[in-house]
Amino acid sequence: MMHLKTSASGEPMTLARLWQRLDRIRSPLILAGGVVLFWEAVIRLFKVPTFVLPAPTVIVTALVAHRRELAIATQATALEVLFGFLMSALVGVAVALIIVRFERFGRALYPLVVLFQNVPKVALAPIFILWFGYGLAPKILLIVVIAFFPIAIDMLAGLQSVEPSFVSLMRSVGASQSKIMLKVRIPHSLPHLFAGLKVAVTFSVIGAIVGEFAGATKGLGYLIEFASTQLDTPQIFAALLVVSVLGLAFYYVVEYVERWLVPWAPKFDPVHTAG
Amino acid sequence: MSPSVSSATISNVVGSEPDETALSTHATPAHIVARGLAVDFKVEGRRQRVFNDINLTVPKGSFVSLIGPSGCGKSTLLKVMAGLITPTEGEMRVAGITPQQAVKRRLIGLVFQDATLLPWKNALENAAFLLLSADESIKRGEAMDRAASMLRLVDLAGAEKKMPTQLSGGMRQRVAIARALTLDPEVLLMDEPFGALDAITREEMSSGLLDIWERTHKTVVFVTHSIDEAVFLSREVHVMGASPARIIETLPIGVPHPRTEESYADPAFMSAESRLRGLLIEGHRRSPK
Repeated sequence: MMHLKTSASGEPMTLARLWQRLDRIRSPLILAGGVVLFWEAVIRLFKVPTFVLPAPTVIVTALVAHRRELAIATQATALEVLFGFLMSALVGVAVALIIVRFERFGRALYPLVVLFQNVPKVALAPIFILWFGYGLAPKILLIVVIAFFPIAIDMLAGLQSVEPSFVSLMRSVGASQSKIMLKVRIPHSLPHLFAGLKVAVTFSVIGAIVGEFAGATKGLGYLIEFASTQLDTPQIFAALLVVSVLGLAFYYVVEYVERWLVPWAPKFDPVHTAG
Repeated sequence: MSPSVSSATISNVVGSEPDETALSTHATPAHIVARGLAVDFKVEGRRQRVFNDINLTVPKGSFVSLIGPSGCGKSTLLKVMAGLITPTEGEMRVAGITPQQAVKRRLIGLVFQDATLLPWKNALENAAFLLLSADESIKRGEAMDRAASMLRLVDLAGAEKKMPTQLSGGMRQRVAIARALTLDPEVLLMDEPFGALDAITREEMSSGLLDIWERTHKTVVFVTHSIDEAVFLSREVHVMGASPARIIETLPIGVPHPRTEESYADPAFMSAESRLRGLLIEGHRRSPK
């Protein structure tokens, strides 16, 4: 057997052992591998033209060939996603706290927030470009308007879903509303907040790409737009692949932070339903 | 304890003449007094009376149960004692002051049916949590020490570091009781604290609670659906009826202390049990459907 590296216990790490370690991602990998093989086979069998749908091998070749442009574009897009997402989190949390803390103002604000959510955000992109030019600012703004909503709504649900008996308990020892907020409501809302953050982080990637479509000089969205004018479909797919991996990476960063910050949260298992 | 009858302590009763059931089983100063208490709730903009003209006296250091069907206002009455609801009419006094003042002096400890532990804190931190929230000046270490000794009192020594998800229902409820006791309140108000537990755990918890009460002699007001539980724990049971919500009768429980498993077979126990059952059934029949 081939020796990859030595594990912490001093035992040699074999491929078979590594394969066992990958228990959780083994079956998704097998499934993805199957889909890719099928894709490749169909393209070759029916001789689909590359500009319509390139085979996986062609996409990988394009990925390697354009690796420098893709790396630079990824950096630009990642920066937009990062700043946009952080701003969304800030705005979302602030909106939720304001709605809960100032009840009258909250009742006025909440319907407007929902109304605003129904404005097609993609249509706002050209306006933001018009106002702020081709730089970072319009992308961040676009991400915020797309991504703050799930954060605000989930945080709000978390703040409101504290059991009434716990609020009664705090009141029975004379705790003030702000103390109940700080010591019970906000910590209680964290698992909900992270549910919102996970939705928002994928929205942030979409926001960045849409922003770049509307007007940019760099980034993966710009690269896709440019490649499509050249009918360079393999490069489009290569860029799409990178976008997806970028989104995935951001998602798992959020999940990692959640595990570290909210270890007591009920574990989310997407497959196992109750009962 | 001999059931000495004293006319000085009137504990009862709406609209009926004081008979022997209206008299407390022992002569101690009143700790909780309700006079002419009425509470209105707003339901869809309309005022609705939950109960009217409730009169009640709980002697200091006694263990008193409120029993009755759903909707008889027993939980509401407990909430008025806890200062969570302000009565529309009449007055409530806890240790001679209003419940709101009593809250400020930390005289009141609350336990609900749901343990409501904070999932991000372990058993010890949960037990100390209310005291730390109530008292800014108390040192963290001191609160933790008090919480730890209360956890020992409820028989949870060794489980201090466990998280709520690692505890059974009964254990979680013990933590909730320890949390209330950590406040060192004069009055312990319990709203169906064992309502969600299985029968055996319930009996275990009842014995444990009685043990704690005998050691600390706090005044306990205990809301329950269970006749057994009410008889086993209480010195006095107030039977409440619904529509209109009222106290039907106050029944002193003469089962001798200390009460153990054998108490369930005591003749006094059985007669109190059947009397309570009769009153509840009668109340149930009379309430308009």
